[in-house]
Amino acid sequence: MRTSRTRRRAGAVLLAAALSWSAAACSVVPTGRSTVVEDRDQGNPLDPPYARVIAMEPNPSWTPEQVVTGFRAAMASIGDVRYAAARRYLTDDFAARWKPETGVTVYQPAPSVTAPLAEGATEARVTLKGAVTASIDQDGQYRPRGGTLDELFTLVKGPKGWRISAGPDGLLLSQADVERAYEPVDLYFLDTKRQGLVIDRVQMPVDPASTLAKTTVERLIKGPSGSLRGAVETAFDTGTGLIDVTTENNRVVVDLTEGVPADRAAAMSAQLAGTLSKLAGGSSFEVRVNGEPYRSGVPLYIDAQEHLRFDRWMAAVDAAPYYLQDGALRVLGKENVGGPVPGGAGREYTGSPAAAPAISGSAPRHVAAVSEDGRRISVAPLTPDGQWEQWTVGNDLVPPSWDRYDSMWTVDRTGPQTSVVLRQYADDRRQYRVAAPELDTVEVTALKVARDGVRVAVAVKDGTGEKVMIGAIVGDRADSRIGNLQIAMDGDEKQTIEDIAWKDGTALYVLTGKSELFEASLIAEPSQSIPSPPGIRSIAALNKNNSLLAGVEDDDGKLQVLYWDGDTWEPQVKDEKGAAVLGGDGPAFPAFPLG
Amino acid sequence: MVPAKKHRRTPRQLVRGVRRRTRRAAGRLRRVFWRSLQLRVVTSTMVISIVVVAVLGVFLMQQIQQSVLESRVRAAISEAQADRNAVLGFLTQPENDTSERPADQGEAPQGGGDSPLSRATQALAERAGSASRYSVIIRNENLPGEFFGTTNIDPRSVPDRLRAEVKKNEPGRNAPWFLPLYYEGRADAVPGVVIGTRLDTIGAPRLDGGYEIYHLVPLDREEKMLGSLQQMLIVVGSGLVLLLAAIASLVTRQVVIPVRLARQAAERLASGKLDERLKVRGEDDLARLGTSFNEMAANLALKIHQLEELSQVQRQFVSDVSHELRTPLTTVRMAADLLYDAREDFDPMAARSAELMQNQLERFESMLADLLEISRYDAGAATLDVDSVDVRDVVLRAVADSEALAERHSTRFDLRLPGEPCMAEMDSRRVERILRNLLFNAIEHGEGRDVVVSVGADRDAVAVAVRDYGVGLKPGEETMVFDRFWRADPSRARTIGGTGLGLAISREDAMLHGGWLQAWGAPGEGSQFRLSLPRTAGVPLRGSPLPLVPPEVEMRRTWRGHMTPVLSPAAADGGQDAD
Repeated sequence: MRTSRTRRRAGAVLLAAALSWSAAACSVVPTGRSTVVEDRDQGNPLDPPYARVIAMEPNPSWTPEQVVTGFRAAMASIGDVRYAAARRYLTDDFAARWKPETGVTVYQPAPSVTAPLAEGATEARVTLKGAVTASIDQDGQYRPRGGTLDELFTLVKGPKGWRISAGPDGLLLSQADVERAYEPVDLYFLDTKRQGLVIDRVQMPVDPASTLAKTTVERLIKGPSGSLRGAVETAFDTGTGLIDVTTENNRVVVDLTEGVPADRAAAMSAQLAGTLSKLAGGSSFEVRVNGEPYRSGVPLYIDAQEHLRFDRWMAAVDAAPYYLQDGALRVLGKENVGGPVPGGAGREYTGSPAAAPAISGSAPRHVAAVSEDGRRISVAPLTPDGQWEQWTVGNDLVPPSWDRYDSMWTVDRTGPQTSVVLRQYADDRRQYRVAAPELDTVEVTALKVARDGVRVAVAVKDGTGEKVMIGAIVGDRADSRIGNLQIAMDGDEKQTIEDIAWKDGTALYVLTGKSELFEASLIAEPSQSIPSPPGIRSIAALNKNNSLLAGVEDDDGKLQVLYWDGDTWEPQVKDEKGAAVLGGDGPAFPAFPLG
Repeated sequence: MVPAKKHRRTPRQLVRGVRRRTRRAAGRLRRVFWRSLQLRVVTSTMVISIVVVAVLGVFLMQQIQQSVLESRVRAAISEAQADRNAVLGFLTQPENDTSERPADQGEAPQGGGDSPLSRATQALAERAGSASRYSVIIRNENLPGEFFGTTNIDPRSVPDRLRAEVKKNEPGRNAPWFLPLYYEGRADAVPGVVIGTRLDTIGAPRLDGGYEIYHLVPLDREEKMLGSLQQMLIVVGSGLVLLLAAIASLVTRQVVIPVRLARQAAERLASGKLDERLKVRGEDDLARLGTSFNEMAANLALKIHQLEELSQVQRQFVSDVSHELRTPLTTVRMAADLLYDAREDFDPMAARSAELMQNQLERFESMLADLLEISRYDAGAATLDVDSVDVRDVVLRAVADSEALAERHSTRFDLRLPGEPCMAEMDSRRVERILRNLLFNAIEHGEGRDVVVSVGADRDAVAVAVRDYGVGLKPGEETMVFDRFWRADPSRARTIGGTGLGLAISREDAMLHGGWLQAWGAPGEGSQFRLSLPRTAGVPLRGSPLPLVPPEVEMRRTWRGHMTPVLSPAAADGGQDAD
């Protein structure tokens, strides 16, 4: 009896000790160990945060000008699809007539002018003033535009305060409104041979009821905007619907209602990867059909860089610059030391010393050069036994340009204000006349086909000066046509264009006669973003860092090729000792393949 | 229950049927509940633990909910404070930023355009990130176009009552409300908290004071977390309750099983197995109970044994005395017969004495015979001589035997016999004796009125009822009539010289057949004795073909409004008269 009691007591003491120890050990917050917690507050990259205007009701105590201001804010309220709130600023009569969907005018606001208001007046006039900067059409095409804004609003006083009784149709949005309410998105389409990708930049209204990724893919499926219509293709069948775009395990999942045939899957993947690349932030993709894996249980995963793999000119990996030196064509090799190209072009350059050579894209590469008198274009393959051959004879030919399908483009100015666009294929040397009705009656001074094979930039001289236009190539061989030409850079009468070079599918560099370097595109005003080096004569560019090259001639007549490193211009061509090469006979006229 | 299958039942009948069934099931359940100690303990444990767990769970849940939401709201309030400062910074920014555009009227010049408020909202949107963190709505009713929101928040998430409170509050005071949040493109509302404040513009007198800032924090993740927590609590709580019930069941089982064993042993003991003992293991309370039980059983067995022995000695004594008395009695009888035969030669006094002696000797003889008979029963030596006979014949024979006595009492028999034979296996000699006894009894107590003898039969049993209309029996006498030497009125003379053992022997006879002998009587109503016997010897009797209480009495009672079914004395006696 005694022993059992002592044993029991000892057990109780032990138990109490164990309890207190365990209570001390498991504190509420653990310390001294790592933890894995998914950070969900980072936000969804498919739907970046944004601010938006919410339409508010007009206040009866507002002045006419305040009512107009409120109306402008209500027009900028993108959540309101039918503009119900904006219509409340209008009289019933005008609200029924007002058509907001006719397009968007973008302006930079200036103070509006209110006609003096008499005491007890029941009608007022407010003139909205500003500078028009652009317009957005129904496709979402953003077109820079100039001009002044001078819109008159007539207001009448009703029982609920001032209401607009007359005003312009369409939406008037300030630049800030557009920046807030629209998101520029690059849509990737296919060229007609389905080999390359063509970027179509559109302004997409931010839809609060959806995510940006979803609206983007929906817009991609809908097809290209007007400037590329007919010139590009898409892998999606018409009628394909989008269910949702979500993220799952760090992968962006695109859920479609139907897939595409197997031969178009790669093209579709490239289109999606390209279109969503900016939003997805480097994550890979998966395409599903109605929530199921893509094709009979096999999921379709798409690499984040799929579009770069699909179209090698998107990344332009192995594009070393060519240049002229000592009367021969050279290519820049390792450590920026140049060497002659193989074949006849490496020994002797027959082209004009005042114009850049054009290098074709696919192997074997060709070089094309216009003769000094502008009557002949000779081409030489860059192979050891390649020799110069005369391809084209004309009256006054502009320097040639290659497209990605190995056809050479040039323009023959057969007379004053008459231009004929020519296209000659490398495989059978056949030459076709390209239909370009808008260019027939102007003088084309330069023509460059972009690396996407669809867009073409032309420098045109007419009565109002020289300007740059961008168009799209439609069709092949005898059906070739240049359409949708739109002005990318306008200028005054004295402006001349010295050189143009495509940067990527959407933007190009323009060198003017005043040695100014502009970056121009269809979707933005030309901007003189880069200071030009003194004595600049020609440019070449690629969508890559340190790939804006300039051929310059200093005051002593010495030639040199420089590149822009983001801050300054640096010599590009070096000799074996690493010193910059410059001399009276080159290096000059840098050129990248295509563009 | 399938309604309207063959014959349609009214809904009331259906309801009644359902109610009856339910009541019956409830009764059964109640019986089970009150009979099983284990079930009772488990049930009460479960009820109490459910209450405790529920109270604790609700309390815990409230605490957690409060602390989780409080911390979230507090974080949101501090974020709102920081955002307000940022907004104030944007709004009071020196004009250098906006000076390029000439400001008109000194207030926010470009409503809807690039106003400071829109830039502030943009900054807040970037700070807030996705809508799952929080959204912001800023508005100023006084200024056109000054109404901004971040991401896809729907402005109807801020109801007018909240705005009214915010407008009533002094600037800078938070009004946190729990409200459903609506988002564009989402159909369902998300629970959330909305913190509304009026911007404190005291430090910036040029600013309009009407800026309202609402921070809308969705609490769907908290809701999900609390929901899963609640689920977990419910699961854990129910697990706990079940565990407690299982423990209670186990513990009571440990107690109940020995108790049940003890009960069974007691039952067996009660049924006469006196050598029944409990197995005693250990030294706890139950073991001591077992020991006590065993001691009790041993003592009981000893006492019973002693009593049995005593009773045996007594019975033997009675039997021996009866036997021993017979030999001298035979001699006395022979002498008395001689005297009786020669009584005419005696003088009247002596002749009368001889007659008296003869009578009393006959009575003594029959009493001795009865005593011997009953001692045979006591010794268990009585045996049945079973034969299949018609009960009617037995009745007729018994009636014929009683005719003489009936005539003396001017009593008439009223026989009610069925038309067809009522065959049953019985010892006709004993049954006849029973009936004779009953008839004698009826004649003796019938006060000259008719005696009704009825015979009934059904599939399993036959019955004979003897009804008289004499003084009847007082309540409680129905069983006493079968006691040995019992008499209804000790002062009453035994006119027919009954020994006082007749009914006792009759009862023993009936029980030997596996039948019943029961009595009913009421003062002034007469009495009825019913003998029920199984058709087949040895088969237990389930019911009697004849009622114990005469039908006319029963009917009279019903008419008088005693609607309660008659608790027949037999049923009260031991429930043998199961119908």
